[in-house]
Amino acid sequence: MLELYLFQILNGLGLGMIYFLIAVGLTIIFGLLNFVNFAHGAFFLLGAYICYTAVSLTGSFWLSLLLAPLLVAALAWVIERLLIQRIYHLPHMFQILVTLGIALIIQEASVMIWGPVGKSVAVPQLLRGVLVIGDFVYPYYRLFLIVFSALVGFGLWLLLERTRFGALVRAGSESTETVSLLGTNIFRLFSMTFALGAGLAGVAGVLFAPLRGAQPFVGPEILGVAFVVVVIGGMGSFSGALVGGLLVGVVQSLMTTIWPQGASLMIYGAMAVVILLRPYGLFGRA
Amino acid sequence: MQRRTLLKASLAAAGALSLPLGMRHAFAAEPFTFYGLKSMSGAFASYGKFADMGSRLAVEQYPQLLGRPLNYKVIDTEGNAGKAVRKVQEAIAQDGARFFQGCTLSSSALAVAKEVDKAGGVFMTPVGADEVTGKDCNKATFRWSVPTYGAVRETLVPLIKRLPEAKRWYTITPQYVFGEALLDGTKQVLKEHGLEHVGNSYHSLQEQEFSGYLTNAIAAKPDVLVLLNFGSQSSNTLRQAVNFGIKERMKVLLVWSAGLDQFQELGSDILEGVYLGAQYWHQVDTPLNRELVKITKAKYGINPTYPLAADYISTKVMLDTIAATGSFDGPTVAKAMQGLSYEGPTGPESIRAGDHQVIKDYYLLIGKPADQMSDKDDLAQVVSSGQSFAPVQDTGCVLG
Repeated sequence: MLELYLFQILNGLGLGMIYFLIAVGLTIIFGLLNFVNFAHGAFFLLGAYICYTAVSLTGSFWLSLLLAPLLVAALAWVIERLLIQRIYHLPHMFQILVTLGIALIIQEASVMIWGPVGKSVAVPQLLRGVLVIGDFVYPYYRLFLIVFSALVGFGLWLLLERTRFGALVRAGSESTETVSLLGTNIFRLFSMTFALGAGLAGVAGVLFAPLRGAQPFVGPEILGVAFVVVVIGGMGSFSGALVGGLLVGVVQSLMTTIWPQGASLMIYGAMAVVILLRPYGLFGRA
Repeated sequence: MQRRTLLKASLAAAGALSLPLGMRHAFAAEPFTFYGLKSMSGAFASYGKFADMGSRLAVEQYPQLLGRPLNYKVIDTEGNAGKAVRKVQEAIAQDGARFFQGCTLSSSALAVAKEVDKAGGVFMTPVGADEVTGKDCNKATFRWSVPTYGAVRETLVPLIKRLPEAKRWYTITPQYVFGEALLDGTKQVLKEHGLEHVGNSYHSLQEQEFSGYLTNAIAAKPDVLVLLNFGSQSSNTLRQAVNFGIKERMKVLLVWSAGLDQFQELGSDILEGVYLGAQYWHQVDTPLNRELVKITKAKYGINPTYPLAADYISTKVMLDTIAATGSFDGPTVAKAMQGLSYEGPTGPESIRAGDHQVIKDYYLLIGKPADQMSDKDDLAQVVSSGQSFAPVQDTGCVLG
């Protein structure tokens, strides 16, 4: 039995890295732009569907992993320039309403383009099969997801903490006027940040497609998971998204053995406990 | 216009308007409206779309019904029981609606059934909840789909015979009434055959990540993994089970699949070698099914799916009975449907008078490898079919 619990913790860490990837785009947009993006789940589903189309047309999952995030980011950039930029200064309630509208448009457009029935994407040939550990197995594809998510996380950290782009965006989130006065086109930076966050949702959508398929109504569920992770970790905190994702993954996986019917419920239980003990999340600031 | 002509026209118009209702029908019969309850939007839109196609096929066979033009009106239930029942109440109160067919969700069907019964109408549905023809049955409501009892028996028993070496069985179950009913039936069948139920993982209705449950199943080392969930949950369980290499370690049975549209979504990579329970399969060779496949291909260019077939035959049975009785009176039609035998897509079908349950075949299929498929929809083949129904006295149904 102990072996089973240990394996569930391992499985939970893997699941947590996937949740991190889902949530990190949302937290970047909130942390750097102070913008609540309810269209995050819709960008995820768009990534999954573009992956499906690219794999159907070319047979290459790897090409879709390159293409889908770029296309999602490009669409997000256009939406940001046309619409989002006009509502940065408005209260969060307005931002929620507008992005919820965008999410519904993307969802219904997906139904019109790809139909209401979901689509499957096969695991790439290279990553099929399982790693056998004693009595347990773990799919190579999920191992790949853990490594890939870790690499994406490290790359993002470098981008935001060690590059001029990251420094400017962080400065812009503190004082838009100051950065503008120093000669930087702050709105272009914001557009790029929004596109980056949406592109990351697209990456998550592509990577999730072989596990869950491309489904037109998956957006709200993904948005829910992303918000739980972000709230636990602290709104806008990069490290918080990582720790929050891992915590949610481990709680969910362990609970499938301890109290299976409450596994989904307990991730919200974990969120409630964190909010009670640390209202701004594990890594959040007041 | 001359004054004389104007007077004549006015008199004719006034005369026509003052005619009694029945006599006005003689000039232009008022259309009769048949209502389709379909989840055309929301999370169950994929089901509603096919269900609507099925009803339309049946309606088109009746340009007129008892001398009145037949009008088909869709009520979008939005996959929401509250909205479905409110819209049905409005249709009954404002339009005098009496004949309804459809519903995707059991909760919607149970709520609608009560309203239609109160209004003296007729309602036929394909939903899964056993209560529809069980403890919540009523005079107005009929159900086409085989209940959980038959679904479990017609999949597990043939599989037990096919796999005599399989002694250890594990279940994954959604924790709500439908899942519990399937689980109870599974435990009963395993007990009757002296087989070991080595474990069960419950999951919530919101769950979509099954890696933890599959890990539990692998740890129990079963010979057969029985999936008792439905729709997107069963699709995701199967996808993730294949990802975990479960098919190489044990046999997999999905007791209640959604049929062709779910199989198309999953593809042969995932389905190959998986046992699948189904209410309907388009390749079944019966006279009405051959006709249904023909007209579906002609109109929509596809093979019939389960929701399409279920809503086609339910709509057809209701319209046929109205025509046969020569009446638009709900109780008269409902009474005529009790005990009715007809040719259905699964072969000869009948409506049991005691609980309004349709007696029909349930199928056990097996997923085919891609290289054995003759066309893109040839994703599975029938392993066995048969009928298992609990006696009326065991269903809890008492028709008033």
